[in-house]
Amino acid sequence: MRYSYMPGCSLLSTARGYDTSARAVVRELGSELVELEDWNCCGANAIESVSYLLSVALPARNLALAEQANRDLVTSCSSCFLNLFKVNHRLQREPALQGELDEILAVAGLRYRGKCRVRHLLDVVANDIGVEAVASRVKRNLSGLKVVPYYGCQTVRPYGEYDGPYLPTSMDRLIEAVGAEPFPYLWKTRCCGGVLMTTEKAIGMSLVSELLAAAQGADCIVTVCPMCQMNLDAYQGEISVQLGVRIRMPVLFLTQLLGLAFGLSEKELLLDQNIVPVSGLLRQLQTV
Amino acid sequence: MAEKTFNLTRDMLDHTFADLVTPDREKLLTCIQCGTCTASCPTAYAMDYTPRQLWRLIQLGLKEEVLTSNSFWLCTACYLCTLRCLRGIACTETMSTLKRMAVSMGMEKLSSSARFYEAFRDTVRRHGRLHEVELMITFFGRAKRLGAIGYTRLGFTLWRKGKVSLDASAVNIRGLDQIEAIYRKVEELEAKP
Repeated sequence: MRYSYMPGCSLLSTARGYDTSARAVVRELGSELVELEDWNCCGANAIESVSYLLSVALPARNLALAEQANRDLVTSCSSCFLNLFKVNHRLQREPALQGELDEILAVAGLRYRGKCRVRHLLDVVANDIGVEAVASRVKRNLSGLKVVPYYGCQTVRPYGEYDGPYLPTSMDRLIEAVGAEPFPYLWKTRCCGGVLMTTEKAIGMSLVSELLAAAQGADCIVTVCPMCQMNLDAYQGEISVQLGVRIRMPVLFLTQLLGLAFGLSEKELLLDQNIVPVSGLLRQLQTV
Repeated sequence: MAEKTFNLTRDMLDHTFADLVTPDREKLLTCIQCGTCTASCPTAYAMDYTPRQLWRLIQLGLKEEVLTSNSFWLCTACYLCTLRCLRGIACTETMSTLKRMAVSMGMEKLSSSARFYEAFRDTVRRHGRLHEVELMITFFGRAKRLGAIGYTRLGFTLWRKGKVSLDASAVNIRGLDQIEAIYRKVEELEAKP
């Protein structure tokens, strides 16, 4: 299967490991991500807080470009996913919006008719490609590895289009498919604080601390959102100092974990870019 | 937060307020104060008014009290309240609307968040995509200069790991003129009364 692919801005920088591993893993699984040409920022959470119309128009430009390509538009970022998906939802819900959007996109020589299907990469891997296909590619045994499936909020909320909006299971099934064990975790979709880590750090730190504390006992956390990965991975040093407990929990993108199971190298998965080192995890894998 | 008493007078109340802040005023007016939103909210503990209290203030039309609070600025848009609301109120969207309205009326209490969103908007306008380093520099320049110190070490780590580049123009898209045209058109439409 071929998909149009929009990696999103974070995947060009702080989450490059996600982009690289996502492309490699999907290729291994026999599908293809064709990057949407000249895509733009979807607006993340920020734009809706300053302008409603811009929060529709920015993702809609990408949708208009993808509509021409006539393939599902896949994104690996949960914020991009929500913003793109929301445009379709709003066009159905607000009859007046189509006219306004037409007027705005016309200045860019574009038109969006609301026909592009928006998909999260997790949905594609779990439901199009499927658990059996993933299991059949496994070359390296991950058995014994306890993995926290952390979905984050916008991966499944509010629409719950392809999985449960509160306690989803698609990532759990993929973790099992590669022989690892999903760690029981009730905070699968609890918010990581998103941008509060920058604007109101004390609150962001407290949310992330709670998520990390609940993950103790597991070997690593996996996630499918660049923001979640960054928040959980980058502040563990500071949190350890604050709490007086040493926390060193590797936080991988789901596609990095799948890639390891498929026998891809650390380099191919850019694992060296993760902030908490994954070397201990790799040693553990060699011994099983 | 300690209990607060309002002596409601007719001129304090603005019954048009609910119309402006939520896409479905009828639903918001049916809020039964069950508190599921507050119980679901990961940041309610730090809010001046919890989400439940906020809906009541909106029902009463206590505009200034609402708009000058920090509550909606702490909303991370995790949508758990929206998912669980028994009345189907668009809680998260209402929080976003309050952010826009507070800025337009110069009432924002947590200006750091407002400046962050604006810096984000301006960076995307310049490049078509987000350049995280430029965003952080713009934000800390406009909002909290001292706050930047806490992030310099992280910034260095990210740079050392090869996660960020310092060249913002590297993220420029080809259709920058389209982005600029879209921004201008939106400004024009939103300036209309």
